[in-house]
Amino acid sequence: MDFRFTEEEEAFRKEVREFLDRELPPDWPGIDPDMYHEDAFDEIHEVSREMQRKLAARGWLGLTWPKKYGGQEQPLWKQMILEEEMTYRGAPGLDAYQFIGGMGDLILEFGTEEQRQKYIPRMVRGEVKGATGMSEPNAGSDLANIQLRADLQGDYFVLNGQKTWQSAAHRADFAPVYVRTDPTAYKHRGISILLVDYNTPGITMRRLTMMSGLDAFNEVFYDNVKVPKENLLGELNGGWRVVMAALGHERSYGIMLIYNIKRDLDLLVQYCKETVVNGQPLAKNKMIRNRLADLAIQLEVARNMGYKLNYLALKGGDVTNTANEIKVLGGVLTQRVAVLGMQILGLYGSLGSVGGNWRQMDAKKDKWAKLGGRMKHLYLSTVCNTIAAGTTEVARNAIATMGLGLPREPKPPQKK
Amino acid sequence: MDFSLSEQQEMLRKIARDFFTNELPKSSVKEMAKDTRGYSLELWHKMADLGWMGLVLPEEYGGSGGSFVDLAILLEEMGRACLPGPFFSTVVLGASIVMEAGSEVQRERLLPKLARGELVLTLAVAEPYVLSHTGVFEVRARNVEGGYIIDGTKLFVPDAHVADYIICAAKTGRGSTLFLVDTKSHGLSCTVLPAMSSERQCEVKFNQVKVSKADVLGKVNRGKEYIDKVLTRAAAAKCAEMLGGAEQVMEMTVAYAKERVQFGRAIGAFQAIQHHCANMLNDLDACRCVARRAVWMVSEGMPCAREVSLAKAWVNEAYHRMTLLGHEIHGAIAFQHDHDMHLYFKQAKLGEMAFGDTAYHEEIIAREMGL
Repeated sequence: MDFRFTEEEEAFRKEVREFLDRELPPDWPGIDPDMYHEDAFDEIHEVSREMQRKLAARGWLGLTWPKKYGGQEQPLWKQMILEEEMTYRGAPGLDAYQFIGGMGDLILEFGTEEQRQKYIPRMVRGEVKGATGMSEPNAGSDLANIQLRADLQGDYFVLNGQKTWQSAAHRADFAPVYVRTDPTAYKHRGISILLVDYNTPGITMRRLTMMSGLDAFNEVFYDNVKVPKENLLGELNGGWRVVMAALGHERSYGIMLIYNIKRDLDLLVQYCKETVVNGQPLAKNKMIRNRLADLAIQLEVARNMGYKLNYLALKGGDVTNTANEIKVLGGVLTQRVAVLGMQILGLYGSLGSVGGNWRQMDAKKDKWAKLGGRMKHLYLSTVCNTIAAGTTEVARNAIATMGLGLPREPKPPQKK
Repeated sequence: MDFSLSEQQEMLRKIARDFFTNELPKSSVKEMAKDTRGYSLELWHKMADLGWMGLVLPEEYGGSGGSFVDLAILLEEMGRACLPGPFFSTVVLGASIVMEAGSEVQRERLLPKLARGELVLTLAVAEPYVLSHTGVFEVRARNVEGGYIIDGTKLFVPDAHVADYIICAAKTGRGSTLFLVDTKSHGLSCTVLPAMSSERQCEVKFNQVKVSKADVLGKVNRGKEYIDKVLTRAAAAKCAEMLGGAEQVMEMTVAYAKERVQFGRAIGAFQAIQHHCANMLNDLDACRCVARRAVWMVSEGMPCAREVSLAKAWVNEAYHRMTLLGHEIHGAIAFQHDHDMHLYFKQAKLGEMAFGDTAYHEEIIAREMGL
């Protein structure tokens, strides 16, 4: 047992912190790791691309990837520290769809040599933006029910159908898209993955607005879209393996929520120390200090679980169960912080422009908003944190069946 | 970081697990709840023969110089086994405070006997109107020729009815002082109070009890500093004990969910039950994470008030949730006394109340946050 960070780890953490101090715009208010801010607002998107170039210049994009494709072949723990520090500061640029268990890792794991040569160096140079194409109107938690058809005709797959909730698709250059290549096979046996260039003719998109007011995700329609057959990632009809790997890579989702919400809790603590109501700082109000302490405890517990997950991942063990646990912990925790934030701000809680970020603030209209309208934004956006990347119910099913070995619920009779 | 146990620690755990599986069936735990002494002397001496009383004591006092992490592993197994008796009082409270505050003479007098299992110690802090050591004690020690005279009532003294010595915190002048009081002293009386489970909580009355100067433990008027340190260790140790119990609750419950059939299938195949189980596992894994971290920090001698408080606050609530869900999944079968589940339900509550409840530790965290 040893819960210390090594000197090497501390040194790299310091290096990342100094980089962020230097390179983030002054008074950067922080944005969420789900990237909805950078996808929704042009100005933040520009900051994000700028950061991406700076990260690339330091060799911090694709830090762990092979040198052969422009990576640095650095140990995984560095990537973990980079993720933690950047997320805590709300720094943009570490495009989750590419670098944090996203497209890049899938291409490295399942791609052909040509695919790796084609995509990875561009990603490492920070030249592209990624997205992902999983969900459909009738394939949510039941992901294996994907219906977007891809028929192999000569040298091309021809795609017809639609995807939905495609975060960042409107800004992305390309994405791994999960398609049905064999409609006669039972559900997960007829799925393949195609690397789709979003500029291909026949693709149309419609921006969708979230309940938080951000328009950061899309419906994507495919009308006879021709995708070269060499863009097949992995085996034909063997896509479920890639799906499982992609979901396995979601190691980071819960942890990122936790690192991110620490910034908000720190913000609330600061606010309560500084804000005097009825002659006394909010921090001295018994209910408030008790609830802040309660959440600080939950946050520390979740952070420790995050370090446990990293430890397991570094040892090369199976992290699925712990990742699911952290996802449940993290999702619920962010909602609790948001609820407390709203309670502490009282009537002020509802004020603020869309996005809860001073970069969108109007000096005149938003003068009464507290904490940049951050708590309102959190209150609305964290609803999604128990849903996105697999609902907490699906996570609990997996914990129960895979983690505890409980019997699976009987499946309905197969139709095909 | 390394979250794993060493090979020796794994071995210690296995030895302890096997020992309690063979030597302490739950039927005997339940019998002991009705017993006057409250524990088996035979088992006590076997534990002493295994070197467990002296596990963390230095070798010069007959111990084996183990770490606090080693002790915590043992406590996890004791929690799992629902071990009744004065091990915690003697080793975690008594021996710690003697090591912390005792003179060389006192250590040599007490610790080797303690390591051999021939001595039972306990610590008396709470009083009817002073529930934590942060208050001003009403039990007073008056300085007289050759020693002190102690007067007053201590409450919630664990295992005082079988203790050879009670380490009593009493008000002296401007502070409080610890006294090593022989339970055979004239004027000392002890009553075991009917309570929830097999634990023995006592009222101890000091009626003009005379102690000599040689029985002062540590510096005069500095008692609270020693208690503070020992209670932090005790809170971490209690987390370990509760963690062991929580593991057993998890295992019992999942095993039952797999074998109990209703509506033609094992109830564990229903998502309602699966989600309860998943929530329990989430709580358990988080308990293990923070409890072990707290224990490790104590072991390393690091400043750890914050980590111990957050572990205790979390384990308090999480273990409680787990036992409630465990009962829910078992249904009526575990509501009967013959079943073992209630032992853990009670252990969770008693553990929660010991060495700082959740509100107490939350306040420590709030202060640490600068609130």
